[in-house]
Amino acid sequence: MGALLLALLLAAPAMTAAEAPLRVASLNLTADELLVEMLPADRLVAVTRWADDADMSNVAGRVPATAVRLPRADLERIIALRPDLVVVSEYTDADFLRLVEKSGLRYHRMSDLDTLPGIRAAIVDLGRAVGTPDAAARLMARFDAVLAELARRLEGDPRPRVLYWGDPHTAGAGTAIGSLVEAAGATNVGRELGLRGIVPIAGEKAFAADPDAFLVAQGSGTSVALRQHPLLSRTRAVREGHVVEMPNRLLVALSDRAADAAWWLASRLHPARVSEAAPPPNLP
Amino acid sequence: MSERDRRLFVFAALAVALPLVLLGALSLGSVPLPATSVVRSGLARLGVGSPSPLPEMGEVILWSVRLPRVLIAALVGGGLAVVGAALQSLFRNPLADAGLLGVGPGAALGAVLAVNLGWAQQRFLAMPFAACAGALLALLLIYAIAHAGGRPTLSGLLLTGLAVSALAGAGTSVLLVAVEEFRVRTVLFWLAGGLEGRGYEHLALAAAFVIPGSLALLLLARPLDVLSLGEEEAAALSLPVHGVRILVFGLCALVAGPVTAVAGSVPFVGLVAPHALRPLVGPLGRHLLPASFLAGAVLVVVADLAARSFGQYVELPLGSVTAFVGAPYFLLALRGQEGRG
Repeated sequence: MGALLLALLLAAPAMTAAEAPLRVASLNLTADELLVEMLPADRLVAVTRWADDADMSNVAGRVPATAVRLPRADLERIIALRPDLVVVSEYTDADFLRLVEKSGLRYHRMSDLDTLPGIRAAIVDLGRAVGTPDAAARLMARFDAVLAELARRLEGDPRPRVLYWGDPHTAGAGTAIGSLVEAAGATNVGRELGLRGIVPIAGEKAFAADPDAFLVAQGSGTSVALRQHPLLSRTRAVREGHVVEMPNRLLVALSDRAADAAWWLASRLHPARVSEAAPPPNLP
Repeated sequence: MSERDRRLFVFAALAVALPLVLLGALSLGSVPLPATSVVRSGLARLGVGSPSPLPEMGEVILWSVRLPRVLIAALVGGGLAVVGAALQSLFRNPLADAGLLGVGPGAALGAVLAVNLGWAQQRFLAMPFAACAGALLALLLIYAIAHAGGRPTLSGLLLTGLAVSALAGAGTSVLLVAVEEFRVRTVLFWLAGGLEGRGYEHLALAAAFVIPGSLALLLLARPLDVLSLGEEEAAALSLPVHGVRILVFGLCALVAGPVTAVAGSVPFVGLVAPHALRPLVGPLGRHLLPASFLAGAVLVVVADLAARSFGQYVELPLGSVTAFVGAPYFLLALRGQEGRG
């Protein structure tokens, strides 16, 4: 039975060019970033308004002018664009998706973006869903090459203990930020403390954890708040100035740019091994 | 104008206003649809007249997205207004509304739990059902606690409701703090009220409780009028005071629970609609309850239209729109009353 199922799966035809969606609408920033790389301009009919925001987006300035910028997930506007496929996020609620289906639209849901392997798998899935697996493979090749080069350079270097501080949230196990910290050659203190997900952490607990560095979002005011915090301002990391302010577009990157984010963070944590803030251009 | 003529005029005005605002709400939105085309599309569905002039995209927007949403708005408004009117008679207090029942905080707790556990993202209708379960559990808890020491007084019921609401609110806060950042938006939007993403299944859920519940409350209009004279007077008129009170309380919760589950928190409708109508149609339940239903429906349909039309970047929360309109009206009305007092 299992062999028959496997044979059927292997015999299943791949999506042909004729079946590939010709009009794709994106309802999340991660999909915006990936679809700008994967699709010809005329097949991307809508992106989120965040796609043009240089603070948040890694493709700002490169989004096709023809793509409609959706200020919000307004189903009526989406229907009016007549997309063949709507790309939604893991957090889109099931009731909205049912209405999308009932409106005759097909959707692809990106999920499991909380680890680098999960992000990798989601990129492959998206490439398959929009009918451009080759473009997805190109992104993957670079993603893998950046992470492999990073791992090579960091090999044997001590791993600093880093605590993400979102005042008062931190990132435990099973989070993209935790995964990013570890890919950048550090130990995620949130995971070390047994935390899971993005969860609040008491100031006293963060103080007692005595991290080597804090990771915060740039321009959010968190860094200032950290330096003024009655307890955390007295941690070794803050006193020695080890507060890494990461650009938002990298901190929230759940696309192929997550590898660039890991590289950027590694350049701050291991400057002797990773001197450049971005991966070298000679990588594929 | 005699009292009867004024009442007839108000009912006629509401009966005309409701279909008009429904038509307006069906026509207006992110993608405007001409009102005449909406009417002709409706007639075409009934097999009357020529085929619909709307393009396929317009048909989908009208019938799959807009119609269920607009009808839910009408039911939400109607239900909340009837509940408000009934509770104001029951408590003999013009400030009473569904918020007193504990169903709002109970529903919020259920909804936040559904989001926290990831059900809202994975299972269709998980959030409204969880909210409905939370509302009904809160009600049962209020009933059980209030009856623990024998038949409760009105103030006992009220205070128990407040205590259970506070407990549910505390539970919601604890869960809200632990909700992942990306899911917070879903929770906040639900807490602030809204009808985005609601379809025919949500309409069925609301209709299954609001229509029979409101009709049952209307049938209790006369006992409610007797109760509003005072408990001793009602008992002297052979009214089973305790039974009627529990029945009204239960029916109000059965209407308000699913309404809150489907639309989140939509404040002030239950206060404003009956308050505005009482001087026009009089305090008798048989007039005030149906008029409140119609006025509440008009109010929320218009508020929802404003919510989805005015916010460019985010849809305005429906609850905020009703509060923006309701709170100033209510304060003005209150000041007017104090001035007269």
